[in-house]
Parts: sequence; structure tokens; C-alpha cells
Amino acid sequence: MATLSDSRKRELRRELESIVGPGAVLSDADELMVYESDGLTLFRALADFVVFPTSVDHVSAIVKLANRESLPFVARGAGTGLSGGCLPAEGGIVLSLMRMNRVLEVDYDNQIVVVEPGLVNLHLSWKVGPRGYYYAPDPSSQQACTIGGNIANNSGGPHTLKYGVTTNHVLGLEVVMPDGEIVWLGGKTRETCGYDLAGVFVGSEGTFGIATKIVVRILKKPQAVKTVLAVFDAIDRASAAVSAIIARGLVPAAMEMIDHLTIQAVEDAFNCGYPRDADAALLIELDGLAVGMEVQAERIVEACREAGAREIRTAKTEAERQLLWKGRKSAFGAYGRVSPAYMVMDGVIPRTKLPYVLGRVNEIVAASGLRVGNVFHAGDGNLHPNILYDPRKPGEEARVVAAGAEIMKVCAQVGGSISGEHGIGLEKVDFMPFIFSAADLALMLRLKTAFNPAGLCNPGKIFPTKKSCVEVGPVAYRPHAIEEKGLAQRF
Amino acid sequence: MPDALLEKLCAAVGSPNVLTGIELSPYVVEGRTPEAAVFPASVEEVAAVIALAAEAGMPVTPWGGGTAASVGLPAARSGLVLGLRRLGRLLDHEPGDLTATVEAGMTIAAFQAVLRGRGQWMSLDPADADRATVGGVLATNAYGPRRHLYGTARDLLIGVTVVTADGAVVKGGGKVVKNVAGYDLPKLFIGSYGTLGVIVEATVKLRPLPDQEELVGVRFDCLKDAGAAVRSIMASDLIPNAIELLDASATTGAGVAGSARGVGTTPGGGPSASPAPTATLVVGFDGVREQVDWQRAELARLMGPLGAHDVQSLEARVWPRLATAARAAVPLTAAVMVFAVLPSQVAETMEQGAGMARARGLHAAWAAHAGVGVVRAALAADAVPKKPAAIAAVLAEWREMARAGGGHATLEWAPLSVKSQIPVWDDPGAAGRIMERIKAQLDPRNILNRGRFVAGI
Repeated sequence: MATLSDSRKRELRRELESIVGPGAVLSDADELMVYESDGLTLFRALADFVVFPTSVDHVSAIVKLANRESLPFVARGAGTGLSGGCLPAEGGIVLSLMRMNRVLEVDYDNQIVVVEPGLVNLHLSWKVGPRGYYYAPDPSSQQACTIGGNIANNSGGPHTLKYGVTTNHVLGLEVVMPDGEIVWLGGKTRETCGYDLAGVFVGSEGTFGIATKIVVRILKKPQAVKTVLAVFDAIDRASAAVSAIIARGLVPAAMEMIDHLTIQAVEDAFNCGYPRDADAALLIELDGLAVGMEVQAERIVEACREAGAREIRTAKTEAERQLLWKGRKSAFGAYGRVSPAYMVMDGVIPRTKLPYVLGRVNEIVAASGLRVGNVFHAGDGNLHPNILYDPRKPGEEARVVAAGAEIMKVCAQVGGSISGEHGIGLEKVDFMPFIFSAADLALMLRLKTAFNPAGLCNPGKIFPTKKSCVEVGPVAYRPHAIEEKGLAQRF
Repeated sequence: MPDALLEKLCAAVGSPNVLTGIELSPYVVEGRTPEAAVFPASVEEVAAVIALAAEAGMPVTPWGGGTAASVGLPAARSGLVLGLRRLGRLLDHEPGDLTATVEAGMTIAAFQAVLRGRGQWMSLDPADADRATVGGVLATNAYGPRRHLYGTARDLLIGVTVVTADGAVVKGGGKVVKNVAGYDLPKLFIGSYGTLGVIVEATVKLRPLPDQEELVGVRFDCLKDAGAAVRSIMASDLIPNAIELLDASATTGAGVAGSARGVGTTPGGGPSASPAPTATLVVGFDGVREQVDWQRAELARLMGPLGAHDVQSLEARVWPRLATAARAAVPLTAAVMVFAVLPSQVAETMEQGAGMARARGLHAAWAAHAGVGVVRAALAADAVPKKPAAIAAVLAEWREMARAGGGHATLEWAPLSVKSQIPVWDDPGAAGRIMERIKAQLDPRNILNRGRFVAGI
């Protein structure tokens, strides 16, 4: 990729400022470093500019300028992604959408909300909460991640077992196409006219354009919630309980697995009341009508007992429930207590393959001389093995990456997928052939060409590439720029 | 049909599976007879047939149960009907995974029967389940009343295998319930009417069968009251699996009137007077017994102050009639239009639309999946047939009404004489250009269902 001369850079900066105003363009190296990676710090790349548009017209104008200059561009939300999806190609423009964070319209009668992409996920539920509504997709990063980022990754979360992922809640999008044209895909009605372009756009990892307005469904809060913690002496029994619950015709709102190592870490860090000596715990949540809740809870308890649960606790109060969830939701942070770094995998498998695959994961990681903590969406079969390592030890990071690839292969072999919710981004481009044939990828590429013919919109993602402009593969650990500045810690 | 191509097709699928001449009569659409119909028995055979057609530039019309064969504009040249009835197997069902993989030609009824035997179901209930196939239902995005709670094909299709216009076999998605690897190809093929590829296999999410299910009918004096009742249900704690709004004709069409089970509840305690209602709300509930019982009672309590006449449990046989209630209500149909509007606009759309037809001396029957804003109107043909222009004029007014409220309308059925006067599909706006580009990328020779779909695709 051609490097811009300093004088050309200054000219372009002035032009970008004429679009978005002063104070909304970054081009100094130390400022740009904040945007050189996302939540996966293994990959880094510097943009030429980071721009903060506040309107769809800004976004369109920036995209048109990028096209004129043949500069690659990428949209970015909170940067909490875990696959390097919002990294710039070396050089080019990052459009940070964090200043487009308004709720534009709330229509309770029709249970839809129109938001801007930079709105933080949880803030949407806060906005409609007082009227008894909420936005269902709840990624673990929901306190920080944005709806626009959720759109790009088709984000999930613990409660997607019952309520589906982001795409099941999106009705329409206003999109700035990769050539700068502004187009509506879908709308406010439940049915669209022609191909389901909104459905195709969600999960396209920023390669089909930039969403500037998003119409989402909101749901009524359930009348009642019941949260149960089932404790097991063997993780296989916990896996069996997952299948047993499904086989009894129950679909809980969430069914999350926390393994021994993770329980230790969580208890060290937060004291959530999980039994330290347990091999695994299942956090199961039912929601819905108050009436009939007990009947279903009894069936769950019965299934867990039959699978060999040694203890079953029910949250008696909302505080107890929150504490149980804290153990689950803060697990990633808690690993910081037991390891200087970890890498999270995101494989998905058919639920009945859980015991086999968890066994394989442990074998693979042990053979690499490393440790793994598992905390994941068991009900969906969405694994999150977290391989713990010390980036300062030479060669350890490479072993993590190799073990990760092995785990991905196992997921593929049992008919699973290499990503349930984190996306392919840069991280998993070379794993795509594990699950897709050349013909499958060729069709996806044609679809990409239809949306993004010039290829300037978030290049280098999703598809296997022989060589990328970005530094790929395992690299020596470096703290994120904001860590170096002492603004954040790595957990 | 050139003899050479016919011979190759016979070689690919076996002569008994290639129909020509008079045998083609079941596949005549709008008076247009295809040149041949072929029935491959495997994905490889489908690929071989499409490759042959592509090479010869022969248009292809994919065909499942034929229940939606007349939707859209017929192709100028009918070409080859590609029937999928021999791909009718259930390939994989692991109850513990709550997923199943099925060939496209299996009928919905056959699929559901197998699943039901194992305590599960696919949460999709389109009309004509005994003829409609899984592939056809996906390609046309068909659904029924239970979509209120369970959504449409886009909410349950997790993997799809298609044969593309060049004869390549392509997979999208997978067999797991959560998957973000690569683009969401299942979404692309749902509702694409066979214009981008031929669906040959599908993997879907399943649900456990509920312990109980119940359908409740509530009668109102006017659509407006029933519309207010819908809003009240939506804002309540109830979790219905269907909310259907039927006008007087559709109430008869769905056979609701004669299907009341036992004695109804009369809100307010008065006698259960039964004047001819002008609107019926039909609400479905499922779950464990306690949940269904509580919801029925809660519904009756909510409806009382809203002008409801009686709240009655309906027989289960009403369920499959709901998706076709409007059309069944008019003995001779002149046209059927489907509207997508905001849920809050449903009752008004029905009332206004009926008025527009009346003003032109026509009668229409109206039925809606009210909670999701999908309204269907069947325009009745007179004893003395109206000119196509008169029919088209009402349809145009209806579409304008939907558009004014931010919605859109599709002409689901009409004779060719009417379709030639008003576009079948609504205008997709600027998105239409992206659709054209996708079509050009995936089917550059334009052989799949040529000219049948939105934006001339």
C-alpha cells in the first residue's frame, strides 16, 4: 500500500476537518496508537487518520474521499472486538462512530427503536427499561460495546440461547455503502421487499458498508426470572446435564458452563460463592411467566440431579442472582489473577459433542504445556476455551496460537464452526478452509464484490489471504497503547 | 428443447425422470408450458442438470410442491422445470442438538410428522403443509400464525446447501445454532424465490413440542376495537404464540364461527349474545398447562373493558386455516395482496383498504398476523367480471396506502391480465440496485427464475 507523503497527509487532514470539523480528526502517531488494535492485541496496524463523524453525511463524505484517494477505510465502535475485525489496513482511515450514539426514536407500540451505531449496547436497555422493555442481545462486553459493532459481528451473549443473536433483533439499517451512497436495507416493518439485505449485512464484519442508523426490536421484560447454579464433581456430568435439559423439552433463557480453573479464578477475584472444589458449575436461567415457572424449574433440577449434580442452588433474591451472574460475566477479568495473559477461542459444536470436545481441548492444551479455563455458552454449544500463557516467555505465544488452531480443527471435525460470536476478523482468516470449500468461499467473495467492488471497505478480513498488509501471525507480546500510557490494565 | 440437451438430461437423471409434452400439464403456469421437467434424485444430479442448462442458456424454474408457482411474473421463456420431489429425505436429526438436516423436497407435513414423533417441531407453520416443501417454503419465506412468537425462516435456518447458477454446490452456515463464520448465506437465500440458487438441503433449529397449546377467539363489533385489543395484549405480560385479526368474511373463511369449544366466557357477565361480529381476534398460547390456563384467563380479563363480546376456546382445526383465512373467504378470487405495515397500523389498514374496495364496488376479505404487521387481503371477483384495470386500480390504491405508512405491499396472486397492469413486487428503492448487483454476481447468465422477482430480477 502506498504511503502518503507528509504534505499530502496534511492536505487530507485539512479536507477531513472541513467535513467533520476541527477536533474530530486524529493523525499524530501517538494518538493513532490508541486505535491500532481491538480487544485482541495480538494484531496491530496504524491508520493514517482516525475521524469522528457525527452524521450520516459526514460518513458518506469521508467514504467518498477515501474512494477518491483509493485509501482503505474501516468503521470502529468501542474496539472491544476479539478478532481484529476493526483494525485498519496499514494506513487509511478509521471512522470512529463513538460520537454517533443517540437513540433517535422509541416506538413502544411497535416495540422498535432507532439508534445510531455508536450507542453502547447496555445504554439501550437502560433507555427503555423504565417502561418495562429491554434489548435482548447481551454480549459480555455490553457495558462498553456498541450496537454498530454488534451489527458487524452479529454478536451473541448468554441469553441468545432463547432469544437469538443480534440478527434476530434487527429490522433495518441505514447504510453508507462502500462507494459513499446512502441506502436503506430493510426498514421498520417485519417484512422486507426483495432480498433480505439487512440479514446479509448483519455479521458482514464491516466489509459491506457502514451502518449509520439501526432499527432494532425491543422486548418486554419477562414477568419472572429464576436462576439456578448446578454444581458438579465432573465436567462430563455437567455436559450431560445440558443435553438432558434439552431432551426434556426445556429451553432455558441461558445455560452457562464454568469449569474448575475458572471457578478458582472467579472466587479469588470476586468471591461470588461458587464452591471452590467443584469441577464444573452450570448457571441456568429460566424466564417468562411467573405461573408455571416452578414446574419448569423442577424439571431442570431433576435433569441436573439425574446427570449427577452434587448440589443445586437457587438464587433467592435479586442480589443473589446478580452475584451468580457476576461470577460468569467477570470470568475473563478474573483470569488476570491466575495468568498474565490468555487467548480466548470461540468454537461452536453440536451440543451433544460437548463431553468429547471438552476432553480434546484439555488434551491439546496440556500437550502444549499450557493451562486452559473454560467458561462458555453451553446451551448453544459455543465454547470459549481460554488458553492461559505468559507472553514474556519466549515461544509460549506461538504454542498458544498452534493449540488454538488444533482446537478449531476439532470443532470443525465434529460438524461445528470456528466462530460463534467473535467473528473471523484477521485472527481466523486462515481457519476458514477448515469449514468452507473453495466454492463456498468463491460465492461469499462474489457477494462481497456486489457490496464492495473496490475492496476499500475493511480490506483483509474474513477471507484467507496469502499475504496481508497487516502484521499477521504470532508476534511478541506488547501491551496495548493505552496500557503503556497507564490508562488501562490488561485482565 | 434441443434434442441433444434432452438426451443429456435423460442421461443425467434417467429418462423416467424427465417429462415432456402432455406430461407437463401440472407445471403450466399462467398458460405457459415449460419445455421439459426434470427430477434429479441427489445434490450431484441437481448440479449436473443446472450445469447442462447453464451451458445451453436454458432458463430454469426450481419447483418444490408448486404451491407458490404463480407468485411473481412468469418467465418470458419457461425453459426447464427443476423438480425437487425426489430429494425428500431427512438426513440427520439429533434430538439432543435440537437441529435437523433435511433435503429440500421433503414436505413440511412429512418433516413435522417425524419430528413430532420425537417430541420436537420446526417452529414454522406455513399453509399447504402437505404439499409445500422445505426448500420451497425457505425460497418463498412462507410462514403462518405462530411466527408471532417464533419468527420466520430467518430465525431458524442455520445452514443451507444450494446449487448455484453455474452448477457449483455451495454451503452456507453450518449445523450449529450459533455461527458467525463467513457471510450469512442462509439469509441471502431465504425469500430469494430461486433467483440466486436452488436450495437442495437445509439445517434448521428445532424446538421442543409444548405440553399444551390453545387457540382463543375474541369477538369485537369493529376492527378499531380489535386493533386496540392487540395493542393491549402486546403491552401486557402475555406471551401469545399467535395474534390473528380477522374481519367478518375471514372469520367465516377460517371457520372460526362454528369452532367454539364449550361455553365461552362473557366479559362483564352478561349473556353471550352473538350478533354477526365484524372482527375476530384469534390468540394462541402454548407452554405448560398452568401457563396456558393463566394466559386464557388473563386474556379474558384484559379484553373485558375493550368491547370484547366473548372469549371462547377454539378447536385445534382452526390453526391451519388461519394462514389462508382471507382467500378462503371469497369463493372466486380476483387478487390477493400482502401488506407489511407497522403492527399499530394493522386495523386501520384493514378498515381503510376495505373502504377503498367498497368505493369501487368491490368486496375484499381481510386477515392479519396482527402482532407483526402482516396483512393479507383477498379481493373477490364479481359474478360479472370486472375489467382488469378496475382490479388494478384498487390494488394500486392499497399499495399507496401501505407506502404512505412506511410499509409496502406485494401482489401475491392475480391473473396475468392484472399483473400486467400493476407491478407484482413493490419498489425496493435504492436497495434494488444492490439486489441487481448480487443477482449479476451469482447468476450472470440470468437463468434462474428469470424476470420473476423484485426489480426485474
